[in-house]
Amino acid sequence: MPILMHIDFNSYFASVEQQANPFLRGKAIAVGGKGKGLGGSTRSVVATASREAKARGVKTAMSTWEAKKICPELIILPGDPQKYSDITNRLITICTKYADQLEQFSTDEVFLDVTQSAQDYFGATLLAQTIRAELKAACGSACTASIGVAPNKLVAKLASESVKPNGLTVVLPENVAAFVATRPLKEFCGIGRQTERALETMGATSVATLRAISREQLVARFKSHGAWLSNAAHGKDNTPLAVDAPAKSIGHSYTFPANLLTKHDVWKNLLALSDRVASRMQHGYVVGFRVNAFVRYGDFSQMGGDKLFKEPLRDGLGIAKSAWSILLPNIDYARGVRLIGVTVSALQKNSVPPSLFRKTEKMHSVLGALNTIQKRFGQHAWQRATTAGTMLLERTSGWHYDHELAA
Amino acid sequence: MHTYMNDPIEVTVDFFGHRIRPREVRWSNRRYPLQCVNLVHGALEGAKRIFYFSVSDKTNFMKLRFDTETLEWRLVEIYTD
Repeated sequence: MPILMHIDFNSYFASVEQQANPFLRGKAIAVGGKGKGLGGSTRSVVATASREAKARGVKTAMSTWEAKKICPELIILPGDPQKYSDITNRLITICTKYADQLEQFSTDEVFLDVTQSAQDYFGATLLAQTIRAELKAACGSACTASIGVAPNKLVAKLASESVKPNGLTVVLPENVAAFVATRPLKEFCGIGRQTERALETMGATSVATLRAISREQLVARFKSHGAWLSNAAHGKDNTPLAVDAPAKSIGHSYTFPANLLTKHDVWKNLLALSDRVASRMQHGYVVGFRVNAFVRYGDFSQMGGDKLFKEPLRDGLGIAKSAWSILLPNIDYARGVRLIGVTVSALQKNSVPPSLFRKTEKMHSVLGALNTIQKRFGQHAWQRATTAGTMLLERTSGWHYDHELAA
Repeated sequence: MHTYMNDPIEVTVDFFGHRIRPREVRWSNRRYPLQCVNLVHGALEGAKRIFYFSVSDKTNFMKLRFDTETLEWRLVEIYTD
C-alpha cells in the first residue's frame, strides 16, 4: 500500500511577506490578487490572508474592499510573484530529495510518494519532520507548512488540512474510515460548493449521512462523480500522482480597473491577453485548435463561447482574431466590459508545419525572434503597437507565474 | 507605512564564501546599520540575474535590489511602523 504525503504552506503569500518583513508579523495582512500597483484596488481580491486576518473574518478570494470593511486595520500588500516562486522552488528542491515521486498540486502544495524512501509510517513521520526542519532553515520560521501522511491523496490532503498551522497528521490505513468521518464535506478536494449544495438536497450534510446514501443513488445524480463520492465517503481514492501531466488548456483572464466601453479598447486588451496566452503556448511548445472567449459585463452577466479551428493556433494575433470572431456578433459595449478571458485548448505538442504562404512563414520566423528577445530581455521586452496603453499586471496567485514564461 | 521607490544606494556587505550579507545601507546621506537579513530571493529579468535582500533594522524594513550585471544596489521598498 502506498504512503503519500501532502505538504501545504500555511497562509502562503502572507507568511512569506511576514518572513521578509518582521514588522508585519502578528498583524492582519492580506496579499492582493495582482502585482504591484493594484494591491489596494477595489477590483482586487484577497489572494491570501494572514492567520491574524483570517481570525478577523477575512477570507481568500474576498474582494479587498469587503475585506477592508470587515477588518479596517487590514494591511493590503501587492503580491510579489518572483518572491513566491523562489520559495516554491525551495520547497520543491527539498521535497525532491526525499520523495520517490512528486506532484506539484499548486504554488504552495505538493503531494509526495514516499513509499520506498520512508518504508513505513514511522519512517514517513521522521521524513515529514526532516522536511519541516529543512523548510524552516530554507524559508524562515514565519513560513510554516502543514503535513498529512496517509495511504492515498484524498486522505493525505484531508490530514494536512486538519491541523493548521504547522501540523503533522499521520493517518494509518486502519484509521482511514474513522478519520474521514470526522472531516466536514467542504474540506474534501472534489466537493465544491455546487456538489455540497446538491448533496444537501439529498440529505447528506456530513460524511456519516453521505455514507447512508447508496452508490446507485449517487451515480444516478452525479454520474461518474457519484462513484467517486461514494468511495471518498469511506476514504477510498486511487488517483495516482500526476507527475509532469501535460496542460489540457492554456488561458488568461483579466479584470480591468475600469470597465471597457469601446470596441477599440476591448480589441486591444483582447490582443494583449492573447499575446500572453501565445507566450505561454510557445513556452510549452504547443499549438491549439479550440478557442474559448468570454467577457463579463459590469453587471456580472457573461457572454462568450468557443470554436474549433482546422488550422493550428500559436501566435497572439491568430488567437485574438479567433476570439474576436466569437465575441464580435454579440458583444454589447454599452454594458461595460469588466473582464475578458481567452483560453486555447485541444493542445498538441507539435511545431506548426511550414506554410505555403510567404507572409505566414515570415510571421513564424518573426515570432521565433521575438521569443528569443523575450528570453534575453524579459517578458516586457516587446509589445505590439496596437496594445500600447494596455497594462496587464502580473497575477499573484496561480502557479504558472507570468514572469517564469520568459525564463 | 509602505513606500515603493527605486533609489540608488550604497551597501556595505560581509562575504561568506560565495554569499554576501548586507551590513549597512547608506541612503540620502544617512547610515542604516542592519540588524537582520530576513529573506533573500532571486529573480530573472530576461537573462539578467537580480537578487533581492529583505533586511531590517530596529525601526525599518528595507528591500534591496542587487543587479548582478551592473553590480548596482537600489532601495526598492521601505516600511516603517
